Amino acid sequence: MALVGPPNSGKTTLYNQLTGLRQKVANYPGVTVEKHLGRIVLPGRDTVEIVDLPGVNGFSARTLDEKVTREVLEGRADGIRAPDALILVVDSTRLEPQLMLVEPVLEIGVPTLLVLNMADELAAREGEIDDAALAEQLGVTVVRANARAGEGLDEIREFVESVAERGPLPPRPCPVISNVVSTGGVSLPVVDAFAARRRHIREVGEAARYRPPQPSVLSQRLDNLFLHRVWGPLIFLGVVILVFQAIFTWAVPLMDGVEWLIAGSGGWLADRLPDNWFRSLLIDGVWAGVGSVVIFLPQILILFLFLGILEDSGYMARAAVIADRAMYRVGLQGRAFLPLLSGYACAIPAILAARTVEDERDRLATIFVTPFMTCSARLPVYALLIAAFIPDRPLLGPFVGARAATLLGLYALGAIAAVVTAFVLKRTFLKGQPSSFMMELPPYRLPTPRSLGLRMVDRSRIFLKRAGKIILAVTVVLWLLAQFPGGPDNPPAVEDSALGTIGKVIEPTIEPLGFDWRIGIGLVSSLAAREVIVGTLGTIYGIEDADEGSMALQERLQGSLDLGAAVALLVFFVFALQCMSTVAVMKRETAGWKWPILQFSYMLGLAWVGAFLANWLI
Amino acid sequence: MKLPVATPVGYAGPAGAVTELSLAQVGLSQEVELVRIDLPVEQMEPLLERGLLPGCRLCPVRFSPSGDPIVLVDGVLLALRKEMAGCLCVREPGSKDLA
Repeated sequence: MALVGPPNSGKTTLYNQLTGLRQKVANYPGVTVEKHLGRIVLPGRDTVEIVDLPGVNGFSARTLDEKVTREVLEGRADGIRAPDALILVVDSTRLEPQLMLVEPVLEIGVPTLLVLNMADELAAREGEIDDAALAEQLGVTVVRANARAGEGLDEIREFVESVAERGPLPPRPCPVISNVVSTGGVSLPVVDAFAARRRHIREVGEAARYRPPQPSVLSQRLDNLFLHRVWGPLIFLGVVILVFQAIFTWAVPLMDGVEWLIAGSGGWLADRLPDNWFRSLLIDGVWAGVGSVVIFLPQILILFLFLGILEDSGYMARAAVIADRAMYRVGLQGRAFLPLLSGYACAIPAILAARTVEDERDRLATIFVTPFMTCSARLPVYALLIAAFIPDRPLLGPFVGARAATLLGLYALGAIAAVVTAFVLKRTFLKGQPSSFMMELPPYRLPTPRSLGLRMVDRSRIFLKRAGKIILAVTVVLWLLAQFPGGPDNPPAVEDSALGTIGKVIEPTIEPLGFDWRIGIGLVSSLAAREVIVGTLGTIYGIEDADEGSMALQERLQGSLDLGAAVALLVFFVFALQCMSTVAVMKRETAGWKWPILQFSYMLGLAWVGAFLANWLI
Repeated sequence: MKLPVATPVGYAGPAGAVTELSLAQVGLSQEVELVRIDLPVEQMEPLLERGLLPGCRLCPVRFSPSGDPIVLVDGVLLALRKEMAGCLCVREPGSKDLA
């Protein structure tokens, strides 16, 4: 069974209600970018597998979303059988344009249920529809629903049950989904085909006495403000500043709290364990390494809370419209705003979100510049180095301190690199016709705490899993390498260990940047993920310090880098693509190694040159 | 901000009734009917899928801060670029078919 429908029609909300699963939803078209598989447990019966598909406006396979949807519906997707039944979810406040999808969906020829979602909003805005007449016109079962409040779920479950009772359909030839209506074997030119379908839908709508809802008065008033010539851009800037302010100021007390918890629990554990190699691994390796990264959880949660509010409320679509002109000038477009803003949290969801950019060249350009956005994984590195090397003194008046200014400068440097890269890219590799941009503006809706909460839980799970897997693994390997030759009972000085040797080997390549072998090890380990360098340095210094009592990581760094080298390291992190997960996602999203390899080399080259200049100048 | 209304671009019919304009020339709150989309097929398709088809009624309801039109089509707000609006050929609803 599969859920299909146009973007932002509420498929995922319905899917979550039906399966009890927690997928991210938002009031922004194109949030579901992957197919999701779940199960509906029927009372006293077996389970039904259900697939949530990305929203599509058609089946021309012009966009990745359409390709994914088509593959599933035609039964060509890995591990998913062609669905035995379909649930077509449409937004009943935009019924007629959304019904354009009915015909190609019915052509597939499996039992289909048409769900008129957001029926409450249709009624509230004085729209009407006779669902019985609509059902008769289209020859399908029609159910009204309000997926957010869970209304209409029983009828949908009934349909699911009837499908389950009948059992799976016999194997059949692949249905052919076409975007063009065929009339007696003659396929019409594309415009005529669409026009014919649209006429048919209008007739259906008239027969079902469909009265479109009044435009939402609240949305109009809000748009008067948010899309105002003067206020609109100012509010837009205000929102962006607010998001950054929240990440860098409001998150601090929470982060201090987490840090205190980790330090406290580490000390508590250390007191209770016998002094042997296991304690060394656990406290100096795991606790220091993983702990230094987990501290950043509050920051990531706050960023995703804000992104969630912006998306769910419907503001993000307006922001995209406001950003479009400026982005158009540098060779991108308004739809790239969401991926780029998400890129400040993490490049991986951002690169996936780039699928909402319909134009292929624009999408590639967006993907290419996304890793320049200062993701939250860089933050631990920035925070550590800034605290260690930049004095805490006012710079511009009492409000902007030298540290904040440095941080802002690093963010700006990344953004400038992105702009220049996009500009050059669109005039060279990705040259082409000026792309088209259009954006549906959904009505404003109040974000539900449930949706926001689910998103944050989801994000922290992913973040902690990463910290748990990659970072834990890297820390343990580093700790082990630091014990040889000699073994845990008689560990060598870190410099003479296997780990130190690795650092020494790469030292010549990074010496011009002012880095020593310890930073070298950090850079190598941060290829897995940027923030790992903090844990690595924590581990290296932690082991080195084991005899002489612990010194703060900051103080140790001050001993091993001068100011020029510290700035060089910051600049290196602004540019370099040290994130294997990003490379992997890029490979998948661009269908090949060409772009990720190009991207990695380009960013590494830029990082080296930038760091060299920084070290040379300061 | 109102744009200057109705500078004719299209072919004037035998009766002299010039009715075709580009969407970029249509003022706010003026409902028009889409006649033709002067764009290559790849760029046209997303418009068609969103119900922006010859024969449909659209109405510019506001301009974005950068002056790009936001139109109401079938109850859906659609933000376009002015360059694209220039490629959408429209006429006043109810006027005679030129063909």
